[in-house]
Amino acid sequence: MTERDTEKVMGHKKDILLHLYGEKNSDGATTELRSMLEDEQLHDEHTALSEVKFRLDHRVRVRPDPVVIDRIVAQAAHAGGASGRRVDRPAVYRFRPLRKLLIPALSVAAAMVVTVGIGFLVSDRIGPDAGIQNLADSRVDKAPPESLLRATPVPPGLIRNGGNQANDPMLAWDEDGRLHDIYRRIRTMKPNTDLDWGEPVPLESLDGLPGSGSSRVKQVGSRN
Amino acid sequence: MTNSAGIQKHLSRSEWPDETLVSTYVETGDEHAFRILVERHQERVFGFLLGMVRDREIANDLFQETFIRVIAALQKQRGSYDQQGRFLGWVLRIARNAALDHLRSRKKWQDVTASTEEDEASFWDRLPDDGPLGDELLLDAERNTFLEDCIEQLPPEQREVLLLRHEGDLTFREIAELTGCSINTALGRMRYALMNLRRMMRASAKVDLSSVDS
Repeated sequence: MTERDTEKVMGHKKDILLHLYGEKNSDGATTELRSMLEDEQLHDEHTALSEVKFRLDHRVRVRPDPVVIDRIVAQAAHAGGASGRRVDRPAVYRFRPLRKLLIPALSVAAAMVVTVGIGFLVSDRIGPDAGIQNLADSRVDKAPPESLLRATPVPPGLIRNGGNQANDPMLAWDEDGRLHDIYRRIRTMKPNTDLDWGEPVPLESLDGLPGSGSSRVKQVGSRN
Repeated sequence: MTNSAGIQKHLSRSEWPDETLVSTYVETGDEHAFRILVERHQERVFGFLLGMVRDREIANDLFQETFIRVIAALQKQRGSYDQQGRFLGWVLRIARNAALDHLRSRKKWQDVTASTEEDEASFWDRLPDDGPLGDELLLDAERNTFLEDCIEQLPPEQREVLLLRHEGDLTFREIAELTGCSINTALGRMRYALMNLRRMMRASAKVDLSSVDS
């Protein structure tokens, strides 16, 4: 083998190394390697180098002690602070996704709608005069509510018992149903739209009044 | 960084490129960005240093010293890192210098010129005199990783190239630039390193390799 052939073979052996470590990135790299491996000597070279490379690639990776890294970072912080280069980073606008804004807003709106709706439903059921009507229809007066008892000052000498307040004549509600009947009749009365007072007339024109010719009305002080 | 704002917007911090993390640390003094850099490359840098000095305590010290030098260089207004090359390659350059300073102080490093590289017979002559003999190698295999011992027995320049390629994950071109030699020289050192490792492993009865002999 001439010196030129030797140099050519050595050149190929170095190319095999580049192929082995993935540093032959030309388009025809695969074809070039396949062509070289057709030579027995180069094929043996490739096999031998591949074996050792495989073992080297599977060596256990090592790391420094963690405390060493902490010391390095502490030094970096000290150096960074001492240099006075620490500055506040510019504000970063973080656009919140629309759904993150929309969902809470919708939740609040739904809660408000439900609250208002419940309020309307309750008011419709009770009605504007429901409280008064219930009171009018009541045939048995109930004892005053406990809250009213607490709010009402106790007359001196009176012991407020926890029994049936309705039997206590001092604190019983007015049981006269007549009052309720009268009230109910008043509520049911309809205004008489036919009422017409008419034009005002002098008193003398009414029957029985002096000067009117009627004896019905007697003057005050007159003998009967 | 022209696109750093876009990068920061779409990636988590741990995914930021090295250059973005460096810029963040240099401009704001944010040590958390620097921590990410250190942790990202700790295995490569420490693996290289441990392979060079073969002592964990010394490797820890050299690791710390390396990054202290990195911090100092970044803080200088005219630091040596110009963000034109890879950050890891720059850090490994600093780590290599720290390792060589240590080895030279222990007289365990011999600078070799490229012209003597191709003489394969000089490999055995350059083995350190205090290196273990073949029988001691077999005994050491019971206690230490045999491959690590074989790497330790390589000539320093071959061990350096092999560690920079396998631990540092540098390309042969980057290795050549870092060590101040041609790419052909770097490839030659790597080839000899692999072949010598294969011979040492084949010489041991514990390793089963194919019978192919180059």
